[in-house]
Amino acid sequence: MTTYTICIFTENTIGLLNRITIIFTRRRINIESLTVSETERKGVSRFTIVIKHESREEVEKLVRQIRKIVEVLAVFGYLNDEIVYNEIALFKISTTLGNKPLDVETINQQYKAWVVYWGLDYVVIEKTGNDTEIFEFFNYIKRHDILEFVRSGRVAVGKTEKGLVEYLPEEAEWEHYM
Amino acid sequence: MEAIASVMPEVIETIPVPTYINGSHALMQALVAEGVETIFGYPGGAIMPVYDALYDFQERINHILVRHEQGAGHAAEGYARVTGRAGVCLVTSGPGATNLVTAIADALIDSTPMVCIVGQVAKKLLGTDAFQEADVMGVTMPITKWNYQITSADEVPDIISKAFYIAQSGRPGPVLIDITKSAQLELMTKPFTYERCQTIISYKPRRIPKQEQVEAAAQLINNAKKPYLLVGHGVQIAKAEEELKAFAEKTGIPVATTLLGQSTISTDHPLYVGWLGMHGNYGPNVMTDEADIIIAIGMRFDDRVTGDASKYIKQAKVVHIEIDPSEIDKIIHADAPVVGDAKEALKALLPLVHPNDHTIWRNEFRKYDAIENEAITIPTLNTPSGKIRMGEVIDMLSRKTKGEAVLVTDVGQHQMMASRYYQFRRPNSLVTSGGMGTMGFALPAAFGAQVGAPDRQVVAIIGDGCFQMTLQELGTIVQNKQPVKAIILNNNFLGMVRQWQQLFHERRYSFVELQNPDFITIARGFGMDGQTCSERENLSTALDTMLNHDGPFLLEVIVETEENVFPMVPAGTSVSQIRLK
Ligand SMILES: Cc1ncc(C[n+]2csc(CCOP(=O)(O)OP(=O)(O)O)c2C)c(N)n1
Repeated sequence: MTTYTICIFTENTIGLLNRITIIFTRRRINIESLTVSETERKGVSRFTIVIKHESREEVEKLVRQIRKIVEVLAVFGYLNDEIVYNEIALFKISTTLGNKPLDVETINQQYKAWVVYWGLDYVVIEKTGNDTEIFEFFNYIKRHDILEFVRSGRVAVGKTEKGLVEYLPEEAEWEHYM
Repeated sequence: MEAIASVMPEVIETIPVPTYINGSHALMQALVAEGVETIFGYPGGAIMPVYDALYDFQERINHILVRHEQGAGHAAEGYARVTGRAGVCLVTSGPGATNLVTAIADALIDSTPMVCIVGQVAKKLLGTDAFQEADVMGVTMPITKWNYQITSADEVPDIISKAFYIAQSGRPGPVLIDITKSAQLELMTKPFTYERCQTIISYKPRRIPKQEQVEAAAQLINNAKKPYLLVGHGVQIAKAEEELKAFAEKTGIPVATTLLGQSTISTDHPLYVGWLGMHGNYGPNVMTDEADIIIAIGMRFDDRVTGDASKYIKQAKVVHIEIDPSEIDKIIHADAPVVGDAKEALKALLPLVHPNDHTIWRNEFRKYDAIENEAITIPTLNTPSGKIRMGEVIDMLSRKTKGEAVLVTDVGQHQMMASRYYQFRRPNSLVTSGGMGTMGFALPAAFGAQVGAPDRQVVAIIGDGCFQMTLQELGTIVQNKQPVKAIILNNNFLGMVRQWQQLFHERRYSFVELQNPDFITIARGFGMDGQTCSERENLSTALDTMLNHDGPFLLEVIVETEENVFPMVPAGTSVSQIRLK
């Protein structure tokens, strides 16, 4: 199984997520993670979908099927070494009296994770990184009482020097997002 | 605040408030602007404002009231297949829309342009389980080329023009527009203007192929010893019949077609070798294993063509000319893909290919023809006694119509027999449900085809099972006085399924025998003439009676009950395992 990151640029219209996921469902491809946001260009959304697959050919077919959706502007399928990518994870850790004290120095310096919220009986620690880094930290922090753990989907940008606009159809004026 | 309050009433009085047309009238105007002449439809609550507007447009738009929305869908498909223009359906929400679903799926897989306009509950009722509310957008998303929900009258002109553009350009397909009742009723806030859509930023089908792809293809073709052309539906969709002929004649390459590719080239053309697929001709199927270059045009290597795809044309290099890039490498790897419109691609290829002859190679096909004739065709057409064979009926029909009719076939044995024995002489002459294999397609599709091609003789070939799926459209045919001729080949069985049960399930005939009604009485009940023929010696007269009849006619022919269709490539085997008996 190889991890592929599918980046899809679309017009921002209702129902597009449904149109895209139908294509995965029909081919029985499980979505590992999915994030959507507007890009630096107004009206252009970016879907980042991570899948695992044994066949590059099948992933290429999937990409071509997604490209067929009328509102889709561009689609890319990347291997991990072709992108810079990250995720963010939040850990809610119990700090009630009697629990093992947190070693904030190790958390900061060794794991590059930060306490972003101090509650009365708990803290929230934020860790960004790739999935391996996040799970390394998970393994370390699990000695404490994890009340909640959540990971975002992957966000990724390609390693080529090109910008998004170069992939978008030429004739439109692509305005900046904000 | 005070100042504004004192000014406001005056302003309202002095500026005349312009009134613009409502969404339903905008829809009518848009259809007229798009050149729509015919709509197949069925009214109901959520589409009533549109039907009310239609009342004022009866002179300009011919609305045809069908008997079931599935019939509207297949009629629109039949219309689209013979005209090349989008067939238009108009139905109500909920059950009206869901009844259309089969036809939409059928149109998608057979690349048929269609615009379905479907009523929906008022915007404020969306998502409340209102009366006749169904999530038609959700239901049709996977089976349309595009769908869109209109919730305001102002959207109508732009969305309708987009709908037609998407349905008819690139690889054609069905588009569904769900329009809320509130959008049908509300007034536009601006004057109606209509501009035909020419381009969509995120949708750019490539018509003109890349020159380097064309050159790579030409090079493979020029070096081929045993080249072989496989022609699909795409060539007729692109209206590239002449370009195909010119290309084949210059290069001397033999031409086979898929089921839907039939009639692209006249069956008496010396380069035509037959058709491909599970029940296609013997030579064309087995010779795919001999070719060194396969040139596939406007076809998608359906599993009914390839058999076991992992064993298909392993020895050959493949040139794949196709407008839909997602078809390239989908089933069969293309060594030289050419993405573009078939007509443009063939035009670009023609000057680059060398004249050739390939006589020896072409003659190899003929020896298989002889085998097939000997084993199947001759015995079928010369059955001395017993019940009539399907092949005899089609063969005689083919002669009597000089191969110039539009044949609309349903799904099953009769469909395959029609393809085997009809000698097509004119392009665009076979309308059949290929990809979906939708029983019940033929009667409404024949009606739609007749409406679209009033100058052509349209003959539907229908099984006794299929007929009972959409027979209520006899009423539509009669009410609209369309001279459709329908032939039921009655074998008293769901024949194709029975054949599989006989061959692959030890004759365990599980629920395939039918107790049929008196079809002719039914036709008469609808006001349509008809007759039954069960004796071979009466067949010719019966066909003449049907063909010479002024108006629609139903001919029931009682045929052999347990005849099988051969050749046959059993499902999942390779084409070389084709059986003659
Ligand atoms: C809507 C639908 N239901 C079921 C089938 C499966 N099916 C394919 S052919 C066939 C038998 C058709 O029988 P009939 O119309 O009598 O034609 P024959 O094969 O006898 O010529 C059936 C049931 C289908 N193709 N479509």
